[in-house]
This record gives sequence, C-alpha cells and structure tokens, in this order.
Amino acid sequence: MIDVDRVDVRAAGVTLLRPVSVQVGVGEALVVRGRNGTGKSTLLRVLAGARRPSGGTVRVGGSLVDARDRRFRRRVSAMIGLPPMAPELTVLEHVRLVAATWYSDPDESRAVEGGLLAELGLDALSARFPHELSSGQTQLFGLALLLARPFDVLLLDEPEQRLDPEHVHTIIRVLRARRDAGATLVAATHSSVLADALADRTLELDAAA
Amino acid sequence: MSGRVRAAIAVWRARSGRAVGQSSFDLYLGLMVALVAVVPVGRAVWLSASGHEGLAVLSSPDAPAAASLLATALWAGALLLGRERGPALRSPFLTHALASSAIPVATAFRGPVLRSGALIAAACTGAAMVVGASLLVAGLTDPVGVAVLAGAGLAVGVVAAVAWLIGQAAPRAAAVTAVVVGMLGGAAAVVPALRAVTPSGWVALAYPSAQAPGAPIALAALGLVAAVPVLMNTLRAGELTAQASRWSSATSYAAGLDFDIAAQLYRRRPQLGRGLVAVGAGRGRAGLFLVRDVVGAVRTPGRLAAGVLGLVLATALLALATAPAMPGWLLGAVAGVMAYAALGPLTDGIRHAADTAADLPLYGIGDTQLVASHLLFPALAALIAVAAGVAVVWLLTGVAPFAAAGPTALLAALALAGRLAAALKGPFPPVLLTPVPTAMGDPMAAVRLAWALDGVLLASAAGLAAALLTSVPLLAAGVAAATVVTVAYRWRHRR
Repeated sequence: MIDVDRVDVRAAGVTLLRPVSVQVGVGEALVVRGRNGTGKSTLLRVLAGARRPSGGTVRVGGSLVDARDRRFRRRVSAMIGLPPMAPELTVLEHVRLVAATWYSDPDESRAVEGGLLAELGLDALSARFPHELSSGQTQLFGLALLLARPFDVLLLDEPEQRLDPEHVHTIIRVLRARRDAGATLVAATHSSVLADALADRTLELDAAA
Repeated sequence: MSGRVRAAIAVWRARSGRAVGQSSFDLYLGLMVALVAVVPVGRAVWLSASGHEGLAVLSSPDAPAAASLLATALWAGALLLGRERGPALRSPFLTHALASSAIPVATAFRGPVLRSGALIAAACTGAAMVVGASLLVAGLTDPVGVAVLAGAGLAVGVVAAVAWLIGQAAPRAAAVTAVVVGMLGGAAAVVPALRAVTPSGWVALAYPSAQAPGAPIALAALGLVAAVPVLMNTLRAGELTAQASRWSSATSYAAGLDFDIAAQLYRRRPQLGRGLVAVGAGRGRAGLFLVRDVVGAVRTPGRLAAGVLGLVLATALLALATAPAMPGWLLGAVAGVMAYAALGPLTDGIRHAADTAADLPLYGIGDTQLVASHLLFPALAALIAVAAGVAVVWLLTGVAPFAAAGPTALLAALALAGRLAAALKGPFPPVLLTPVPTAMGDPMAAVRLAWALDGVLLASAAGLAAALLTSVPLLAAGVAAATVVTVAYRWRHRR
C-alpha cells in the first residue's frame, strides 16, 4: 500500500529527514520510532502530501502522493497535530459534519458517529464545545474526527500525546480494530506501550540516521 | 497605596534592572511622539472645531442631542469594554499575587483604576474644552458656559470610568445595563422632555446653547465615585487574573503585528444553544452548511447582533455617502471598515474552512466547495443587511434606493472577499523584516504595518471606491481587482 523509496527532506541546507526506504502492506501497522529531531513527523508529512521530499519517491496505493487528488484524499486520513476545530460546534456536530461530507447514506453516517464516540469514550462529552474539553479529551476528539471518515491508510503522529495510560489502551484497541479491518497504519510514537501493542514492524529512524 | 502593596510592586519592578539611559530614551521618545504626532493632530482638531464648518456643527440646534448620544455611546461602550478588559489590571503575575493575597482588592488595584479613570476624565474634559473654546472664540458662549461644559465633560469621563469598572465587577449585569443606557440615551436624544430626567439628557442640558445648569450630571458622577471602593472589592481574583493574562497575550501579539490572533483572544466562546440542531441529515450540501453556520452564529448572540447591526449601519452610512453634498469618500471609507468589522462574527465558517483548506484533508468535499459552502451564510446576511440599510436611509432621508443599491452591494461583496483574504492570510513573511535603508529612512516599518492591517486598508479602499462608484468607476474596478488578486494568491499558497 505504501512504498517509500530513498526519501529525504532538506531545508535551507539542514537535513530534516535522512534517506529512508520502507514498504507497508495492506492491513499492516508500521510504528516509526526515534529520538526528537530524527524526522518522524517529517516522514509522516511526506506520506500525507503536506511536504514534498527533496529526493526519492513516495507511492500510496500505487500512485504518487498528491494531497489535492480526490482519490488520495479519500485513501489517506492523517493526524499530524490536532485537526482544525470550529469553536461554535459541539463534539457530536463536528463528527456528524465530517461523516456527512463523506457518506451519502445518512444511516451509514449516523452509525459511524454513534459507534465512534462510544468507542473512544466520548459519548458523554458529545454536547460539549471544543473549549470545554480537557487536553486529553481534545486529543481523543481529534482522533474521532480522523476516524469519522473512510480511509485505507491512517497516519498518526504521537497519538498517545496528552493521554493517561487508560486512554492509551483505548486508542490501542481502536487502532487495532482498524488495522484488523484492513487499514494500513503508520504511527510515529515515543510510547513503548503503543509500539509493542500495535506494531507489525518498526522503523527506527535513529538507525536510519 | 498600602505599604504591603508598595513592597510587592517594588519587588516586581526590581526583577530586571533598567538599562542605563533607558529613562532618558523614554523621555526623548515621549517628546518626539508629542512633537510629531500629538501636536499636529491637536492643531488639526482645533482648526476643524473652530473653522466655519466645525462651528456650524457645534452651534447647530442638534448639537446638544449629539453630545448626549456621544456620552451614551461612551458609557455603554465602557460597560461592555469592562467585561473584557477592565481598569483594574496589572501584569498577570502581580495580579495573581495581589488578588490572591489578604490585601483588599480596592487597595491592591487602586493605582491602575485611578490612572485609567484620570485618563478618561482628562480626555473627556479636553474634548469638552475644545468645543467650549471654539464657541467662545466665535462669541457663541461666555467663559461661564465654557466652564460648565468642561465640568460636564469631566463628569461624563468620571461616569465612563465608573461604568468601565462596573463592566469588570459585574459582567452580566453590565451587558443589560449597557442596553438600558443605550435605550435611555436614544430616547433622550429624540424626546427633549426626557432630558431633565436622564443622565445623557443632563449632558445635553449642560451644552452652552441649552442655557441650563450642568449640576445633575456632576452629582451623578459624584454619587458613582462613592461606589467605587465597594465595586472594587467585588472584583474576583479569577476574573482579574484571566483578564490580565488575556491582555498580556493580546498586547504581545499586537506588538508583533499579529492583530488577528490578538483579536481572537477576545472572541466570545459559545455557551448557549447546544440543543439547536446545527448539523442534521437530509439537507443537501448547501443546506447543511447554511444551517451549520446560522446555528453556530446564534450560539454567540451578542456577537451576531453586533455583526448584523454593524452591517446595517455600514450599509446605511454608505447609502448616505452617495447622497449629494455629503463627504462621500470619508463616509465610504468609514462604512468600508465598519462592514469589514461587522462581517467578523458572520464569517466563523469561512475561517474554519480556510484553516481546514490549509491543513490535511478532513471533509469529504474539495477545498473550493468547502469555502463556497461557508460563503453562503455571510452572503445572505450581507444581502439582507444591504436591503435593510438602504431602506432605512430611504425612509429617513429620501435617498433613492436604486442609487444606493449598486454601491452598497459592491461594498458587501468586497468586504466579504476581504474577510476571505484575511482568513487565508498566512504567517508573517520573514522577508518583510529585511531592512531597506534609503535616504528617507527605512520604509519597511510602514510596509510591515500595512501587511498587518491590510484587511482594514483594503476594506476602507473598498468603501471609498463604492461611494465613488458612479463618478470614478475605475477606482472600484482597481480595488476589486486588487482584492481578487489577493484572494487568489493566498488561496494558491494556502498549504
């Protein structure tokens, strides 16, 4: 599903990501690890089409990465930092609006929003506005927006951020379910718990560097 | 100031030693600002007030009513301002330390409250003295009339200062009080019989041509001053700290020319309307986003009301600017800025769409469709406001609706495009920090300021061009082209 071939990123003479090659198959979970500054987020940005590589190529589903291409947008769901949130909408309305723009069948859309909020333990917070959420709840909410849409590839940058151990296990359960359903996962993390529970393979950027 | 407060402030001020010569530089800076900015502006104000046109306005029969309306606007504005940024304000840490100590708030924050009050009172007294002196020079009043007017100005300033404190001490009550003050002020301006029994009416009665004493407004001011210590002791530590932190952040952003983020800090967050269905099924894409934006706006009703009212007033002002014998360019420019500001609360959806378009894909529709869907609500609101504003001016002044429709519609469209351009505006371009020395100095400071205020500048140009649409259509074409190019450029570089 993902083919990264000798990709590197440089900016103004500074190396942000040293050359790296990796392939990830359908339904496989790749965990990217490494010290701060080794290029984990940069690699995810390249995979998401948010940053052009300085060298090498990236293919997702056999096509070159293009964030403005409709098929690519449908295929890849990425969270690198929190997604934009509207202060005037509640948690449920955010999820419902994202789902409504992807699913033409209202029943399908409703099933997604209801199941997702319960799965992430956000159903009791569905009437809250974003500014009424704690930091950890906001992280889960961001993840909910990401999962409210269809995707084949899920890219996550430190999804465990701001979460207590109990909620780290919640997202492990949720992400495993997506992987088992056939989604390809790439997650950058500093959490050994998340990495051990999720990884089919691990890419060590320290080693690549 | 008590000994404990003085000691705390001394510790705070001693945290970093001032560089040698800093005081001298501050003095030099103050003198230069006074010479370069304050003196010329003061001179221009005096020449305007004492000129033929200025005197005609100041001595007109409507002048007392206008003075009462100005006082009303000042008091209502002070009440609302206090809810966001009151006069009892110190640096965030000092505020926290003093407000959570055993020192009474009235003692700990006496200094900033007195300084703020003195500033407003001095400004109001100065304005009243300029008016009085210009009438005196023209022989339209005597020294006693000037003294009464100056006293009334002082009283108006004192009432405004206390209203500002009330806004901070009782934010909820202040909003209701501001509405009541506005209604009473409007009534007193229209019905002269009410002037004897309303505070803003007392201001009108103190005007030289009214030939009445100004004692009631002075007594009202004295009565309010007596309540200041009680008001100050009702200030809550949490609210004081929150206001201090927000103000500190906002001034930091403003100093870095990031006025949008500074303004965002003061944007009201929704608390109401959770039960309203903002996102329902079976509405079609246009209906889905229209209802989402309408319900989203309704959840901050104060912002929505201010936006709609501002849009109607801006339209009415522009319609007035198209009438003969009006300073069209000036009214147009003011209307442009008003329309741009008023569209702020109506374009939350556009800002969200622009943020989303600049980020990783979230919605199942393209960026262009997303922005277009969010344009629907402000466009409809602007259309309704244009109709309302034109109708109001037609009914009040007889300005033909068909003459004003074109310019007002153009302004609405350009102001909306300006809002889209502002939403798509990226971070400050570092290249603007490059110094460009010339024989006349470095122009980049002005360029940086223009970049920071481009939305307001473009809006004032749009208002001016709309007002002069029939006489100088090329100007409107030029401003429209500049707006479209700005939007297109930022859209292309959004990600």
